[in-house]
Amino acid sequence: MTMLAAIIGGGFHLDILPVIGGALLFGTLGARLFQKIRFPQVVGYIIVGLVIGRSGLGLIDTATLDALEPFNFFALGIIGFMIGGELHRDVFRKYGKQFVTILFAEGIGAFVVVSVVTTGVLLLVTGDIAASAAVGIVLGAICSATAPAATVEVLREYKTRGVLTTAVYAIVALDDGLALILYGISTSIAAMMLSSAGDNGGIAAALGVAAYKLFVAIILGVLAGVALNAILRRGRDREKALTYIIGSLALVIGLCALLKVDEILAPMALGVVIINLAPRRSYSAFGIVERFAPPIYVLFFVLAGAHVRVTGMGLWMCALAAAYVVGRSLGKMLGANLSARVTKSPAVVRKYLGLCLFSQGGVAIGLALAATKRFSGVSVAQMPVGTMIMMIIMLTTLVVELLGPPCVKLAVQKAGEVGLNVTEDDLMESYTVADMMDASAATFAESAPLATILRTISDTDAMSYSVVDNDDNLAGVISLADLKQSFSAEGLTAWLVAFDLMRPAVATIDSGAPLAEAVTRMNEQGLECLPVLAGEHDPRLVGMIELRAVSRQLSQEILRRHQLADDGST
Amino acid sequence: MLALAEFLTSDRVVLLSATTKAEALEELMDVIVACNGGVDKESLAREIAKREEMMSTGIGNKLAIPHVRMEGIGRATMAVGVSQAGIPDYESLDKQPVHIVIMIAAAKGEHETYIRLLAQVAEALKDADLREEIIQATDPATVHRILTGPQDK
Repeated sequence: MTMLAAIIGGGFHLDILPVIGGALLFGTLGARLFQKIRFPQVVGYIIVGLVIGRSGLGLIDTATLDALEPFNFFALGIIGFMIGGELHRDVFRKYGKQFVTILFAEGIGAFVVVSVVTTGVLLLVTGDIAASAAVGIVLGAICSATAPAATVEVLREYKTRGVLTTAVYAIVALDDGLALILYGISTSIAAMMLSSAGDNGGIAAALGVAAYKLFVAIILGVLAGVALNAILRRGRDREKALTYIIGSLALVIGLCALLKVDEILAPMALGVVIINLAPRRSYSAFGIVERFAPPIYVLFFVLAGAHVRVTGMGLWMCALAAAYVVGRSLGKMLGANLSARVTKSPAVVRKYLGLCLFSQGGVAIGLALAATKRFSGVSVAQMPVGTMIMMIIMLTTLVVELLGPPCVKLAVQKAGEVGLNVTEDDLMESYTVADMMDASAATFAESAPLATILRTISDTDAMSYSVVDNDDNLAGVISLADLKQSFSAEGLTAWLVAFDLMRPAVATIDSGAPLAEAVTRMNEQGLECLPVLAGEHDPRLVGMIELRAVSRQLSQEILRRHQLADDGST
Repeated sequence: MLALAEFLTSDRVVLLSATTKAEALEELMDVIVACNGGVDKESLAREIAKREEMMSTGIGNKLAIPHVRMEGIGRATMAVGVSQAGIPDYESLDKQPVHIVIMIAAAKGEHETYIRLLAQVAEALKDADLREEIIQATDPATVHRILTGPQDK
């Protein structure tokens, strides 16, 4: 411990590669711990980041974090792209009006409530209504954005599907736009109220800037989407597809940074274009990125945690932050609930959508940074307004990033959408061999005559049958292919028995083994089925597991869950 | 079609002196052991007995085909025993004495050859005249020629 302290005290800082490696490994390990106590993994990533970052051990310094900044944009871009992929035109057609109304209501709800309560807290401290309201409306505008990253990560982790999930995707993706507009208006009004902040052209100019940012981002994304689609249409090579997609994303995100426009909206537009131009081909494109993305997400959240620095906060600042968090949460829930009522949205959206909108991240911090520059030199309550806004946003981001994911989990659980968006691989992980084996599969005693065997085979449709000895232990297997040879001589049926016809089992599996292990074993060995034994030390035969039957049951289960999700949304 | 000559040489044909099933099996096991260095008679006897317990290999029409697959057998081997007097206690499916005993021993991995050989022997000996010719033969070479002759043509 003293050595560690000496190292840290001595100004030891990790270089970039070890930071990336350490963040990935410890982030994932931390997430596992949180998963054990049933917390979404994203909370674990952020806390590991906090521990090793600027507020904790200080193993990652500001210079390293700054050097990794482009990476954060890249991660956000990938998240934007994946969200875009959820926005197929059917979603717009089905829910377009409802979602746009809810989007405005939850954003404006949070804006109004946070503006009012933070103005109130500041008024108590300063007694200056104009200055308090100026800071209040800027905080209100910043708070309206919902960060997609942590929210989407929870949806992904719990494999959710259904109308609530769709609503969350649409709204977290699109309310950045609203936040930009609100921010443009609010800062202009605030600048006028804090007259010394200097006027940058008023509301019209601010709105113009916001519109420019949205428009350019969307155009950039759409153009890149059309180009990428044209490229992907030609090739079928998956690895090249990944390279093209990542290349396009990096380029678009880089251009966004260069043009100072929204880094999430452009990749999102790119995703929307791809999914709508060629839905079938795109599913594999998004699948490729999905498999490539996990380490990027982990690193992004760990770095987000490491970035936070909250020190030297007075009591009133804490009160302001508390008012902000409570006001924002209430505003979003209220706005979402009321608008869902008005638009007659499904009950799960009305009841639980608000809970899914607490997350705050990149956009809020970006806007806070912009506000710091805009209001440099203006102080309220002996504190520079920029610093105050930045600290509030930092602190509240930390709080809602820790509180938000469990709320999302709760909401999707209550809505019954967990585990409905499963793939065969996911299901396989969740089953054991015992769940999928045929415990009543026909078996033969070693002395069963061929005539009996043929009769049984004609009554059942298995590809292979187990033969057991007198103790019910597996003695061998008889496959249909093996039996073909015995058909050649009709005389054999009277006197050959299972013992003569069986072969030793090439492989077996224990009933408690994961289903995935059985499937891998069958695929690797080219087997249609495996005899299932009671346990590692108990060689009794308890059933048979068949590849065909497993894949049939898995497909049925996936279909059932998807139907459940889609029925819930009508 | 498998050529039976591949699995049967004339020195593996014996005119049985046995009068019981046990003695007959014993005589043929000696032949199998003699031409399969790797197999010990005790395990062969155990495997043969295990199979007989499940169902008698006396398949009727004066014919018995005791058979086994086991470790130690190099490759599929046949041994043929002929008893003019017949073996009454063989527990044949048709409850008649057995006159021709064809023992087949194969290696563990020779599944296909094993089944095909069993099928072919049963098929070849369906012919009642052929069986009679074998039973009436007075020396092993004749039996060998009857069994393998048609295959060699």
